[in-house]
Amino acid sequence: MLRVMAKKPDLLPGTLDMLILKTLSRGPLHGYGIALQIKRLSDDVLTVEEGSLYPALQRLLLQGWVRAEWKMTETNRRARFYTLTAAGRKQLGVELTQFEQMIAAIGRVLRDPQEA
Amino acid sequence: MEVLFLKKLGALLRRRRFGKELDEEMGFHREQVERAFIAEGMEPKAARYAAMRQFGNATRVKEKSHEVVGFRFESVVQDARYALRQLAANPGFTAVIALTLALSIGANSAIFSVIEGVLLKPLPYPHAEQIVRLFLSSAEYPKFPLNPFDFRDFRARNKSFQSMAAFTRGDMQLSGSGEPLALSGFGITAGYFRVLGLTPALGREFDTNAETPGNGRQVILSDRLWRTRFNAAPDIVGRKVTLNMQPYTVIGVMPPGTEHPGNDYHSLPYGESVDVWWPFEFAGNPAQRGSHYMEGIGRLKKGVTAEQANAEMNALMAQVSRENGGGDWKILVIPLYREIVGANQRMLLVLLGAVGMVLLIACANAANLLLARAAARQSEVAVRLALGAPRRRLIRQMLTESLLIALLGGGLGAALAEGGVKALVALLPAGFPRAHDIHVNAMVFAFTFLVSVFTGFLFGLAPALQASRMDPKRSLYEGGRSSTGSARQQRLRSALVVSEVSLACVLLIGAGLMLRSFLNQLNLDPGFKQDHVLTAVLSLPQAEYKTGADNARFFDRLMTALRSVPGVQYAGAGSDLPWTGYDENAGGFTIEGKQPLPQQQFHARYHMATPDYFRALGTPLVRGRFFTDADTNDAPKVLIINHVMASRYWPNEDVVGKRLTFDDHPKEKDWLRIVGVVGDVKDKPNSSGAEPAFWWPHQQAPFFPEMSVAVRAGGDPRQLVNALRDQVRQLDPLLAIGNVRLMDQVADESIATPRFSFFLVGLFAGLAIVLAAIGTYGVISYSVSQRIPEFGLRLALGAPPSGMQLMVLLQAMRLALGGAVIGLAVAAVMARAMSSMIYNVSPTDPFTFLSVVTMVVAIALLACYLPARRAAKANPMLALRAD
Repeated sequence: MLRVMAKKPDLLPGTLDMLILKTLSRGPLHGYGIALQIKRLSDDVLTVEEGSLYPALQRLLLQGWVRAEWKMTETNRRARFYTLTAAGRKQLGVELTQFEQMIAAIGRVLRDPQEA
Repeated sequence: MEVLFLKKLGALLRRRRFGKELDEEMGFHREQVERAFIAEGMEPKAARYAAMRQFGNATRVKEKSHEVVGFRFESVVQDARYALRQLAANPGFTAVIALTLALSIGANSAIFSVIEGVLLKPLPYPHAEQIVRLFLSSAEYPKFPLNPFDFRDFRARNKSFQSMAAFTRGDMQLSGSGEPLALSGFGITAGYFRVLGLTPALGREFDTNAETPGNGRQVILSDRLWRTRFNAAPDIVGRKVTLNMQPYTVIGVMPPGTEHPGNDYHSLPYGESVDVWWPFEFAGNPAQRGSHYMEGIGRLKKGVTAEQANAEMNALMAQVSRENGGGDWKILVIPLYREIVGANQRMLLVLLGAVGMVLLIACANAANLLLARAAARQSEVAVRLALGAPRRRLIRQMLTESLLIALLGGGLGAALAEGGVKALVALLPAGFPRAHDIHVNAMVFAFTFLVSVFTGFLFGLAPALQASRMDPKRSLYEGGRSSTGSARQQRLRSALVVSEVSLACVLLIGAGLMLRSFLNQLNLDPGFKQDHVLTAVLSLPQAEYKTGADNARFFDRLMTALRSVPGVQYAGAGSDLPWTGYDENAGGFTIEGKQPLPQQQFHARYHMATPDYFRALGTPLVRGRFFTDADTNDAPKVLIINHVMASRYWPNEDVVGKRLTFDDHPKEKDWLRIVGVVGDVKDKPNSSGAEPAFWWPHQQAPFFPEMSVAVRAGGDPRQLVNALRDQVRQLDPLLAIGNVRLMDQVADESIATPRFSFFLVGLFAGLAIVLAAIGTYGVISYSVSQRIPEFGLRLALGAPPSGMQLMVLLQAMRLALGGAVIGLAVAAVMARAMSSMIYNVSPTDPFTFLSVVTMVVAIALLACYLPARRAAKANPMLALRAD
């Protein structure tokens, strides 16, 4: 049976890169690990689609924010591990600041005027 | 940015490894997911499918990752390859579209090269935008030459011009070594070439000293004359050459590419048409400013516009008229560019419009064919959509296909344009301005390329959007026969055909109007019989033929000699031939017992004729008699006038015997008696009416330096060319014969422009109607094949086959009539733009409009003949089984 890909509600636009960078800031991980980590830490709220994850990783590699190397996993399987670079760390800082500013802004908008 | 580029480049070079690594990485990911599912207690097989499902479309993920690191052009190359495969798989389809596009793009490029050469290319003078032409203008004479002394005042007093010059036609005859040669020449004032921004290659141009009468005969040669007649002698400047039997000193040689800016009065076409320039001398009494034969040209000062100059010149003219008691003249300052190409601009733009419509029709046709094929490709598109191909990419792919076809058509079209331009230039009317500037060049190729790309988008976009908008599920379930989509498609295709038909209608109406106008001009009674007449121009040098009597004696002897040549019926000579220019006498004569209307003058074209001039040309005598050999200088003075002059100045009177005079205080002998009235000949074949004209008998006429000979032959007039040359040589071996032509040719050239535009618009209209017929056929045929089961069923239920035919015919009729109605409405608006190009036909000529509708309907019927037959023969069993 052929399936037409249906659109699921996505992450907030522009946040995937930040989530990946943040996840990697705790140590090197492979793609599956990154997806798993985001899912766990968000209590299953955020699922990273593979269709977005791997293109995003390529984009980060291209920008030089992450580095990739093939290593062995604990189960002795070859996997590509991604490590945050110095530039990536800086970028994470930038994105976090932007994100927080945005959240704060949204919060201000959503607050009831009486409370102010 | 550069780093990014280098990294991408690296990825491009290692793309195979990139793909493998990505595969491995994703494979690992899928395995991990699978394991997780098993750990949750799932069956291994089910876990695997679940993992695969969760991972989704691996190919698509890979593609997206590729896109991140890849260059845009990679996918473009992919699209192009795919498109090429598609096109190669359907060679017939590709060929049909590419060929129709090639025809229409080629025609567009050919017309564009004419426009580029004639309208867009700058004139061959530095800062040509500063150059303007100067004319006089009045209510009666909208465009009139200047008086030399008026010009001299303008030149001295104006503040708007850097420089100003005047010129007048004056051909010369070169003798000396070799055959005498008739040269086209111009008398020019000092600084004429400075106005044009040209400098002599050798020597210098005339200064104001040369304008004083008697200051020595000087001449400037054209490059062509210098090379052909003087072997490009480097020491030519200062040498004497014999012109009009007199020695002239060469003071300069103009470089190649010195183009004559064109002139209105005794015109010589624009281009390298002049052989010699001689200094114009301001002779005579400056107080007498009645004769007008100079054409003005000037170079505006920087920042001065033609309008400002116009205002200043009109103030100047008013001043000059006050001082000298001149007439009520205004001054026209016309930019040179407009003066040269203005008359043809509209025609060329109309042609561009016509050929653009052909391209639109070809686009509609191509779109129609693509739509039909898109229907056949529905399942392919559905599968690709289902497999996750993004719609944007599908649209891009289809557009790539149409672009490739368009570029193929454009390439073929460029090749066609090469040949087409040669044919066009050969077809152009003689003397068409800037014809030699028309080439297929880089500009034309760029235009062709742009048009091709535009075309590709235009005809590819609708089918691509249509195809990508389909719902893959439905299409796959229905096995490629979706009914709702096809209804919408049918509407789109019908709309395309209706627009094709309407455009074709517009073109057909344009062509029809031009054909009628052309036929009108062909069937005009020109006032003479053009067949069997040989003509030539003779210039009698004033050095040898000093008086009118010398002139008359020469032509008497020549006519007598020619009459004795076998094959000659009549031999005549006159100051000019029909349609080759005229001189005008305004207010210069008095009619016995008549007063001109207030604010007007008696005026007439004035000519001179030998006794047999009218017989040789076949101009009929309306009343009275022709001249005879008895009308000598000693005999009573006589005149022949034309019919218009008779009816205008002597309405309802018998004019023979009436008198007029050119003297202000006439004695009895100064009155000229009218002895004959001849038929009218218009100034130009499409002039709205003939103007008053009179002829002096050559024995009594003032001196006309240039005379035209007309010989009527019993047989082929071409066989008389040598006899004519021989007879002239026997009388005067140093006389050059110029412009030997048949009157047929003269007449032919005068209708060359309407013929040219009619031929092209007709050609385009023909192309348009064929394309529209193909389009109609395509749509009807497609809809019939869709409805074959329906027809079969109807037949099986007892409907008569003729009923099926009628249904198809009605469908075609709806398309044709819909298109025709829109076409007629558009044509009725647009034909007004053509009104200056058509002669004696209303732009909404009902006959033309009606014929076009009939024709379009007939062609639509023809186009649906085969599909209608197919509908009537639909086999019910076959149709039902096929379902």
